[in-house]
Amino acid sequence: MEIESEEEQFSSGQLVKQGAEARIFECDFLGRKAIIKERFSKKYRHPILDSKLTSKRLYGEARCMTKARKLGVATPTLFALDSELHTLTFEYIEGLSVKEVFLQSGSLPGYEEQIEDIALQIGRAVGLLHDGGLVHGDLITSNMIIHQDSKQLVLIDFGLSFTSTLPEDKAVDLYVLERALLSMHSSSGNVMERVLASYRRSSKQWSATLNKLGQVRLRGRKRTMVG
Amino acid sequence: MTEYKLYDKTGTTLHLLLFSDVTNSKELLNYMQAGTLDPELAFFNALLIPHVFPVLAAAHKALLTKCRGRLTTKTLHSELVYNYSGSKHITESLKRCGINDSTTYVLVARFCATPDELEATRRLIHGTEISLSELPIRADKAQIQKHYKVSSLELGISSLADAIVCRIAVRDAL
Repeated sequence: MEIESEEEQFSSGQLVKQGAEARIFECDFLGRKAIIKERFSKKYRHPILDSKLTSKRLYGEARCMTKARKLGVATPTLFALDSELHTLTFEYIEGLSVKEVFLQSGSLPGYEEQIEDIALQIGRAVGLLHDGGLVHGDLITSNMIIHQDSKQLVLIDFGLSFTSTLPEDKAVDLYVLERALLSMHSSSGNVMERVLASYRRSSKQWSATLNKLGQVRLRGRKRTMVG
Repeated sequence: MTEYKLYDKTGTTLHLLLFSDVTNSKELLNYMQAGTLDPELAFFNALLIPHVFPVLAAAHKALLTKCRGRLTTKTLHSELVYNYSGSKHITESLKRCGINDSTTYVLVARFCATPDELEATRRLIHGTEISLSELPIRADKAQIQKHYKVSSLELGISSLADAIVCRIAVRDAL
């Protein structure tokens, strides 16, 4: 039995997207279609600080993704984590993002019901996350995918997620979603209202969060730090 | 017996064989603990295995740590069992996911097996070889849920096999 050591062997694939923090590749993982998310190092940072930050964020993302699943919120199955190449490998979800669904199917029949269902699922999922003490951190419509077969809402990109039980953090999470819906999808009707109605049903701590949301709306996402 | 390709370029493979009514698990355990198994093998308590995919994910991970010379356990094959458990406790992992004196239902794994080695493996194990398609039917779902702490809430959005894969992958981040 011989096993050759080849370093780059496990991270090959087709580049799909590149962002400020990571590159996304499409590949095959033991027979299943998969996505590799590679957090690259930032050359402008001190090497020690850089490797610490990169690993910490990588681990945080992996933990949050799997924690969400334990709370009953669908996320891609995590296949592998590589702390040396700073990559996460997870399941490829077939389907359109909520953003694409909202922008695309304006006048198709059954559109109203579809939006209703998606809003319901978003509210439910976010409620479950928040009650479990997890804040997604980047709830925009392109980070939500509707699975093409089951029509199940799948949340992706937990790169900015953290654990918190503060109403403030949850309210900001909802506020980001509200702004995203308003700016991108005002033609789809008042989706946020339906999302919040569903959130109220699914979260036991909705009242504190929604009170806070009122305050956040007045001041914006960032807290004013005066004095 | 089925062969799985773990990595195309180097042609690394994993062979899986499933046995029921195994009568000599005590003997196998002794060989393994003495380090005199020939060929070196990994033994699983197959009741904890609902699908081959989590085993492949654990094998992939074991192979990667082997390539980098960072094995946590003594051999590549024990690393496979340790990885499959999703826990950081080595002794406990090998006890629960490996075999004990009275185990009769065993999954055997071997990296890059040659035909001769497979023959030797079959001679070594006294039991009936059955098809891997029996895995989902024979798996003890209650025991798996308890060992991996999978709630019914999670099973609403995920298969049992995927829940295990997540735990295998995320262990290093905990």
